[in-house]
This record gives sequence, C-alpha cells and structure tokens, in this order.
Amino acid sequence: MDYRAQIGIRFITRRKGSLIAASLAVAIAILVVQVNSVIFQGLYDAIVRDQINYRFGHVYITREEDFITKSDFVLVNWLERIPYVQAAAPRIDSSASINATIDGKIIRDYSVPVIGVDPVLDREASTMAQTVGDGQYVSYRNSVVLGAIVDRDLGGPQVGDTIKLKFKDQHGNDVLRRLTVVGITSTAGSVGLDNSIIMNIDTLREIIDRPHQTQSIIVRLNDPTKDQDVKDLFLAAFPSNADKFKAQTIEESAETTLRGFRSGIALINLVGYFGMMSSAFAVVTIQMMQVTSKTRDIGVMRAIGSKRKDVLLVFIFQGMVIGAIGAGLGTAMGVAYTAYAKETHMTFQGSLPLEVKYNWTSIIQTDIMAFVLAIVASIYPAYKATKLEPVEAMRVG
Amino acid sequence: MADYVLEVKNVDKVYGHGETEVYALRNLSFSVKRGEFMLIVGSSGSGKSTLLNMIGLLDRPTRGKVIIDGVDTSDLNDNELSTFRNSKLGFIFQFSNLLSDLTVLENVTLPRKIQGTVHNSAEEARTLLKTVGLETQMNKFANQISGGQAQRVAITRALINKPSIVLADEPTGNLDSISAETTVQLLKSLNRKLYQTFIIVTHDRHQFGDVDKVVTIKDGRILKEEVEAKMQ
Repeated sequence: MDYRAQIGIRFITRRKGSLIAASLAVAIAILVVQVNSVIFQGLYDAIVRDQINYRFGHVYITREEDFITKSDFVLVNWLERIPYVQAAAPRIDSSASINATIDGKIIRDYSVPVIGVDPVLDREASTMAQTVGDGQYVSYRNSVVLGAIVDRDLGGPQVGDTIKLKFKDQHGNDVLRRLTVVGITSTAGSVGLDNSIIMNIDTLREIIDRPHQTQSIIVRLNDPTKDQDVKDLFLAAFPSNADKFKAQTIEESAETTLRGFRSGIALINLVGYFGMMSSAFAVVTIQMMQVTSKTRDIGVMRAIGSKRKDVLLVFIFQGMVIGAIGAGLGTAMGVAYTAYAKETHMTFQGSLPLEVKYNWTSIIQTDIMAFVLAIVASIYPAYKATKLEPVEAMRVG
Repeated sequence: MADYVLEVKNVDKVYGHGETEVYALRNLSFSVKRGEFMLIVGSSGSGKSTLLNMIGLLDRPTRGKVIIDGVDTSDLNDNELSTFRNSKLGFIFQFSNLLSDLTVLENVTLPRKIQGTVHNSAEEARTLLKTVGLETQMNKFANQISGGQAQRVAITRALINKPSIVLADEPTGNLDSISAETTVQLLKSLNRKLYQTFIIVTHDRHQFGDVDKVVTIKDGRILKEEVEAKMQ
C-alpha cells in the first residue's frame, strides 16, 4: 500500500472519535437525502400512480376543444391491437348538483364532478373499480357509485338507496334523474374520487344529450416506458384534421398537478443538499483538528523527506476514508429506511400510500456526491498541513 | 584534498528586521570529514539547534552556504530539499518523534517508502532493529514502547537510507541515565561499524567521551573548534 494512504488511514482510524463523528456527519447527510427521496419522491410517484390508475391512464386521448365523435368502439379496438396496450376505455365527464344535508336539513347546494365509465372496459384500463369499499362498481344503467364525501354530504345514503341528481345537458337544460346507489368509493390522496360520482357512460351520454360521444379515452400500457411510442402511433394513424385528436403521456396530461410537486421536490432536495454542505463543514472542522493534532508528525514526515504533496495526499486519503465509511453507513441507513417504508406501506399524513422504490441511481449519485464532498472538504485542511514548515512543526508539542 | 561530507561556509541566521533583527548564527564556518563523530556543544540559547536545523536543511540560512556531499544546498528548491534530506540525512530528535500510529517496523521503513525503494526494506529494517536489540518489539506501535527503546528505533530509522550524515539533536536529553549511556554507546559503535558521519548537538559534552571533533558555540558564533577531542 502507498505509504501516504497507509498513514492517512492510520491517522483517522486510530482516532475513533474523529472517525465516527466525521463519518456520521456524512452518513446523516446521505440519510436526510434518502428520507427526503422516500417521502417526497414517493409522494410524487404515488400521485402519478393514482393519476394513471384513476384519471388519465398512461396515455390520455382527447379531442381539441370538443368531444370525440368517432366511435369509441373503433378507437378502443384500434388501440388494443398495439402490443404495448393492456386496455383502453372511453370516458365522459360532466357535473351534477347535489343538496348537501346535515340531519336531514339542506345546508347548501353544490356541484360535483361526474365521471361516466364503461363498466366492462374501465375495469381493465383503470383501478377505479377497486376503490369501491362498500357495494359494487357501476354495472348497469342508472347506477351510481358515490365518492365518500359526496355520500356524507348527501346524508349518507346506503347501497340500494336512490338519489336524485340534477344535471345540465349540452344545451343548458336542467335534467333531473333518479339513480340507484350501488357502491361507495373511498380513495386516499388528491385525485378527487371522494368528491366525485361515477356512473354508467351510456346513462350519462343520454342525460347530457351526447349520444355516441366520448370525452376521453384512457389507455393503460403493459410497458409504461412505451407511452411516447403509443402516442406517436395513434397520432400517426389518426392524422385527419377533422378528428383533431390530442394524445398525451401521463407527464403531459398531469402536468398541472405534477409541476407544483416537482418544484416542491426540487426545493426539498435542495434542503437535503444544504444539509450535505453542513456535513462538509463538519468534515472540514474535524480534519482541521486532525491537522493540528498531527502537526509534529507532519514535521517529522517533512524532515525525513516527504514533500508537500505527500502531506496533502495523507489528508486527502483521510478524507477518502471518511467519505467511504460515511457513504457506506449512509447507504445502509438509507436503504434500511427505504425497506422499512416499503414493508410497512408507509403513507403520507396517514392516508396516501407512498410509492416507495429503491432508486439505486439516486442512491449511488448521493453516495458519490457525499464521497467527493468529504474529499473536497479535506482539501483545505490538507493544504494547511502542507504549509507547515518542518522546523516550525518540530517545535510543537 | 580532504573528503568533506559537510561544509558550512559563512552562515548567518537572522530573525526579524531592522531594529528587531537578532543574529541566531553569525558567520559560522567549519567542515566535517566523512566518518567523523562530531559534537556541537553550547549552552541553552547558544544557537546549536538553529545550526543543526541549517545543516539538516530544515531551515535556510539568511546568508552563507551549506554544502553536503559537494552539493550547494542553497540552490535546491523545496521538493529537491525534501529528496535531498531523505537520501543524504538521517535525523534523531530529542523526543524520538516516531509516528505513534505506525508500528516500530513501519516507522523504520518509512524513509525507504518515501524514497520509493521498498524492495528488501523490511528485511534491512529487521536487521537494523536486531542490531539495536529491538527485534521483539517490531510489531508494537511506537507509543507502546519505552522512551529508550523509541530512541533506538529513531536511530535505526535515521540509518535505514544509509545517509551521508546522521544528525542528532540532544538524543539523550529525554532519557534516564542508563538509557542515555546505552544510546551514546550505540551511536559511537554505529559510527565505527558503519563508518557513518554523526553530528550530535548536546549541552553535555562529557557524556560522549572521546570524539573526532567538537565545535563549541556561544551567542551564535564558534567559540572553539577541537579536532580529535580527548576527554580531559
């Protein structure tokens, strides 16, 4: 082994207090970044997951400024011929007025979103059906699934009860319709199903007087990485100006929701990296103490022939040891926390289950950054060590 | 022509400037032949350690020259001085100054590692340690041995690179009388056995008995220079 590496390693490993303190500073910085990543990246991924599962699929097809008039049967069949496509389903959205009541008294009248779904196709293209905790998913005409909040505001109708909803058709006319509650849906997070009503797409088309029209087609892929390919294939197959189709990947369709989260994550990561800078200052301080305590040894080394760069390398190797041990420890703690979050199905604020992934690229990047930072933090103390003149260093002690 | 291993020519060492100027050494000149055992003696503050620092190239003279093995060291830059110290000089300090984080054997081989000639260095170090009676202590850390043992390790470290001159600054100053006597005898026997030049700074001239040369320093000047100095 190179003698500078040997001395550097011995200097730090035989000062266990300094080694533990410096390594912990690096490890904790990595852990902070990892915890941030698990929570906030997990939250972001959970939102993306729910947006895919409930709202947009992997590819979301609409028509610019209007409803799709082309047969949904034709479009769904065409899409399902693409190997990457697992399922596709048409949807139509509207709204309905409900009277919110408490103890039988009407307290306010407000509008809730209504999602029209194909009872068969939608089960394949989304997981919305799995959110029904009580009752079943919409199956036949005039059946509705109420979001938990809507159900509460309506005074708590049970499965099997009928409710009366007021819609507006496309011409602005009020349409009153009595519908049967077949299920209550409850979801965590921000996708808003708890505030919505789900019903049979054909019933909703009829109510709003848009027969055979579709507002959107959600496409679920068996390989989510092919979303751009599917989008391009679709737009290539339906280029007609008359159709004016718009196809978006999940990143595009959920852009408004995700943009804010991305900024938040960037900010949180920044906080993590500032934490890492603080750990670098801790390493600088500990390394400076090392240089001070080793002044005489540095003098001896210089006296017996070590050059300034050799002294520099001793403390750089010391920084490498701190960086390596700190990075190893930090990774172990970070991976342990990730495993804990994954195994316990960690939720955000007790509701939304986080989408916890082992992001090895991010872990390795953080490790390398912490390792490099420990070395960079050692440069100044190492430089100070090289400035010690042998005759001055020998006088110390 | 004499085989001088060291020539000190008109060396001044001045600290401070202007009114605060202090001469630590003033116009010192002497020379040392190869294989000589020489003492630099003087009372505390006389300038003997400053002189040793100049000879050891740990500090530069303000004026004058230090020539070692025919090389004028004033022409050497910092890196060249380091290399020169490593190959031409061996140091023995008052407090032994071993690296406490290295073992005895690692301390002894350190100059060879710095030089980059590690081949057989461990074997040579073992032989030298055996010479000074420390073959059983080789794998102990430097802070696990006694002061006398540490000083003997320092002597072996000073010899491992076969330097032209071994410099010792009060090598017995921190030892009890028995260890001090052992160290003196060891230095003198190594001088005879290896034909190695030794320059020893001491305030206790009597401890060393008969030597080849004694230079007495007072107030930064040479007070007396004795050749083949016999104890009176």
